[in-house]
Order: sequence, then C-alpha cells, then structure tokens
Amino acid sequence: MEITLPLFGAATTTSDSTGLNVAGLVTSLNAATPWQLNLPDSGIFGLTGPSGSGKSTLLAALAGQRHCRGHITFANTVWQRGHRGLATHKRTLSLGFQDSRLFSGQSAADNLALARRYSRRPLPVAECDRLLEAFGIEPLLHQPVELLSGGEAQRVAVLRQLFNNAPLQLFDEPLSAVDRAQVLRRLLPTLRDFWARYPALVIWTSHDFDEIQLLAQRCLWMDSANLSAPLPLHEVAQRLDSRGVGDSCRSRIEARVESLNDGLLTLDFGGISIFADRVTGHYRKGDTAAFLLEAGDISLSVEKPGLSSILNCLPVTLIAKQKLADGRIRLQLTAAEQVFYADISHLSYERLQLYIGGPYFAQFKAGSLTGL
Amino acid sequence: MNIAIADWQALWLTLKLAGLTTLLLFIIGVPLAWKLSRWQSRWRHAIEVLITLPLVLPPTVLGFYLLLLFSPNYAPGQWLSHIFDGPLVFSFTGLVFASVIYSLPFMVQPLLATFNTNGQRLIQAAAVLGIPPWAALFKVLLPASRAAIVSACALTFAHTLGEFGVVLMIGGAIPGETQVVSIALYQHVEAMEYGAAHRLALMLMGITTVLLLAARWLGHNLAPRGLNSEQVKPVMGVLG
Repeated sequence: MEITLPLFGAATTTSDSTGLNVAGLVTSLNAATPWQLNLPDSGIFGLTGPSGSGKSTLLAALAGQRHCRGHITFANTVWQRGHRGLATHKRTLSLGFQDSRLFSGQSAADNLALARRYSRRPLPVAECDRLLEAFGIEPLLHQPVELLSGGEAQRVAVLRQLFNNAPLQLFDEPLSAVDRAQVLRRLLPTLRDFWARYPALVIWTSHDFDEIQLLAQRCLWMDSANLSAPLPLHEVAQRLDSRGVGDSCRSRIEARVESLNDGLLTLDFGGISIFADRVTGHYRKGDTAAFLLEAGDISLSVEKPGLSSILNCLPVTLIAKQKLADGRIRLQLTAAEQVFYADISHLSYERLQLYIGGPYFAQFKAGSLTGL
Repeated sequence: MNIAIADWQALWLTLKLAGLTTLLLFIIGVPLAWKLSRWQSRWRHAIEVLITLPLVLPPTVLGFYLLLLFSPNYAPGQWLSHIFDGPLVFSFTGLVFASVIYSLPFMVQPLLATFNTNGQRLIQAAAVLGIPPWAALFKVLLPASRAAIVSACALTFAHTLGEFGVVLMIGGAIPGETQVVSIALYQHVEAMEYGAAHRLALMLMGITTVLLLAARWLGHNLAPRGLNSEQVKPVMGVLG
C-alpha cells in the first residue's frame, strides 16, 4: 500500500476534519503538557485563564511566531510538522495583539486598506462601510495612528483584522482599553452579527468573562500551561471562581426572541416566557439571543410565588451548591437544559431547607438580564 | 560675488557626486539594513563592524586601499575598468564608487537603528495579516521609518559634500572630472588666493546649513508623534 505524506503547506489528502487540529504542540512554556485542540472550521470560542498561564503563547505558536514543535493543520493544510513551521504570512489566519501594533507613519484608513488588500477573501465595500460606522471609526479615519488613544487604537486594530477576514481569527485581549459600556452595547453585537454573516473560526482571548459569555458558547481554559478542550461556559465560570479570578458571577442564558414592545423584550425560555427590559433594538423575532444573568439578582422560592412586580419566574432544579468566601451560598441551577448560578445568604439557605435535586422557583427582575 | 568658472564647475561636480552617492546608497542601504536587522547570525556583528569602519578610519587609509583596488596592475582593477569601460582612478565614476563606500555607515546606521527597534514588531503585525516580508518592508516598515530615512539621506549627502582625503588619494584635481569644492578650496589656499577660498568656503557653509535645517524640519514633520518620536530623536540628534 502506498502511503502519501501530506505536502508541507499543501492540502492534505485525508479530509477527515476541516477545522483546526493541534496535536502534541510543545513550546518552551509547556514542555510537560503538550497542547491538543480540535475546533470546527467556524464558530466563536473564548479563551481565558489566569495571567501568565500561556494564552498568548498558544496564539503565537498557532501563528508561527514562536518556536514550537508538534502538529498543526488548519482547513486540511499543514502549518506545523515537527520543528518545521509554515511561514506566518502563508497561514490563512489573522492575529490581534494586546498592544494594537498599528502601522505607524500611516493613517487609520491606510492601515485598514492594507489589511483588506492582502485579504484572501476581501469584504465587499458596503460591508466595510457598515463596520466603520458601527465601530465609530469614521471620524478617526484620516488621523495618523500615533494620535489615537489606546482605546481608539484597539478599535482600529480589531477592525483591521475584520477587514482582513481571515478564515482563522485569533484575538488577544483586543478590547481591554475600550470603554466597557461601548464594548457591551456596540462592539460585541457588531462582532457577533459580523461573524454570523461572514463565518470564521474565532478564538477570543479575554480576562473579561462577560465579554466571552456574550460572544461565545464554549470557552477554552488555560491554567499553568494546561489547555482544556472547549468547555461549557458554566464550567469555566466555576474554574474562574475557584481561582478567585472572577468577582461577580454572571451566567449566560439563551432565549428565543418573541416580541419587543415598549422597550420590554419577551423571550421564550424553554417554553416559558421571560422578560428583559432596558435593551437596545438589535433583536429580531425568532432569533436566539444571549443574556447575562447576575447571580446576586436571583431570589429562590420553595413554592410558586403569587403575582409580583418581579416579572420572571422559572421552575428550576438545584444541582450543586458551594460556599463562597464571604459566607454566601452559590447555587448551581438548571432549567430548560441551561445552567446558571444564584447567590443567596447562608440564612436563606437554612430557612428554605434546600437540597440538591430539589425543584424550586427562581425569580429575577426584567432589568437583571444584560443583553447585547 | 565673483566666482570663477572652474569653481562653479567644482561646485556642480560636488553636488552631482553627493546626489548620486545618496541615491545609490539609498538603493543599496535599505535592503542591506533590512537584511542585517533580520539576520540571526554571529557574522552579523562582523558585517556591522565592516560597514562602520569608514566612520573611524582616516580617509587616506580608505583612499590608499581603493587606489590599490583600482590599480590596473592587478586583477580587481582590470575587472573594474572592464566593467566601467575605463580605469576608475582619476575618474568621476571612481569618485562615486569611493564615496559609496566612504559614506556607507551614514546611510546604513540610522536605518539599522530604526529597523532594529521597530522592525520586528511591525513585520510580525504585517505577517499575521498575510502580508509577506518584502511587501511589509515597502508598505509598512519604510513608511514607519520616514524620519530615519530623511535623516540618513541628509547625513549621507552632507558627509559626501565634505569629502577630501579619499578624493585626494584616488581622484586628484582634474577640473570638471574629479575636482570637488573641498579640493578647489585647498588649491586656492595653496596659491594664496584667499578671496576665492573665502567665497567657496562660504558657499559650502551655506549649502550645508540650509541642507541640515531642511532635514531637521522634514524630520520633525515626518517623525511619527507619540511613542515613536522618542525612538527617532537619537538619530535626529546626530544632525543637531
């Protein structure tokens, strides 16, 4: 039988998986714990973990900017085999750095134009205009990049990467210096909608777990150079808590949009209607939307509560509990196959005589849902 | 001012020499500095020393070796005179050849300094957008290094204007062919024509002053504001 080895940098003949495949990837940082990773060819994945755990190193190794050995293929193309790696500019990826790295001596517009010019699948002009407007870059377009503030430079850098529209897009804390309200209300919805129209495999690194929860459904976890497979968000939240990395706990829940009336959004959550207010008008009927639910905003009842100004009431099952450092109890609840957290006081926990597996009612106000 | 035709000729020759040398050195210097800044070998230091050598060597030493190199008695000189269609000694072509070597550090050093500080980061940022290295040099690194380029060209031009020792060794003083301003000035002084010497000296002073002022102004206006201006300052400082 003739065995044909895949040509370096060329399409492989075995097409069992088209996404990103990483096997036995070793850098100077993780000599004892080689990285394995298998991701599909499109979708958004978060990447988080304590500082210095190796997140940036992983991205640099994927981009071919750090000495490593192992095996990397993407879209059936070999990027790394053993010690030999394909040159960075030949890999169909883009990488955003923490420090923006805009091309100095040029305007923001020049930066964007250059990224689009070398794109392997350039965006239509109309799409570029749409992104420019959504990112609020238009007034900055003709300024030399040296005059931009840190947050402005980061927005231009992310936009530059979108203009490049690579099949694999790696982001390394790309919005850490941008005003948080702007990130949540403007940039994240734009990004999510963009990737819905132009699918790509996206790895989004951030220390802001809310950012990840609003963008991604699964998240990679890196701790002391140990890389996990993609995990459900509530598992990552748990790891963040146990490391003392996260302070306030918010959970991602998903619901289908039913209607938007007078600023009140009606959603279908596994057959039960729930409501969210103070949301902006990005929602279309029938869409599945992601929301963050603050653990401290949820109250729990043993019996079904009567009529209340608290609009949302979900029948839930208690699946786990954990004592927090400040004495409160964090409950892990599940409803409609989704998992979220609720924080209650020690006293309430005893009074209600809660037990694992028990059915309860979780109540929260319409305002405690943060949407995109 | 009453300046003799021969002196005008010397002035024109000097400007032509400096201009041509700067142009050639720009074409040679950019790829050379770029390759050097990316070269990860211990030979790199040896090459850098070799390039810096004309900066510290007495021009007469350089001139002496060039004279030997150009000599039609030996193989290299024969080969060179074959290529340039005539002997290089006592010719304008020979002067250009010598000036390129003599002024090489003034072009390469400022470029190398800016490529070393900025180069790696910018080339990486370009590569992760699919921009290949040579395209990144022209579309990313050179625009980011404009101030250093102006500085390097101005230094090269000014340094070639003042060339004396090397010219004396290999060019002599053939009017219209190898007699540059500094040589003409020297000859006026030798002949005790102080008036003519004054006029030439003042001209050269005026030209270099205007040139350096223009370079500073250009450098200031082209220098990227913000962080990078700090990196350009040491280079521009050479001019001040």
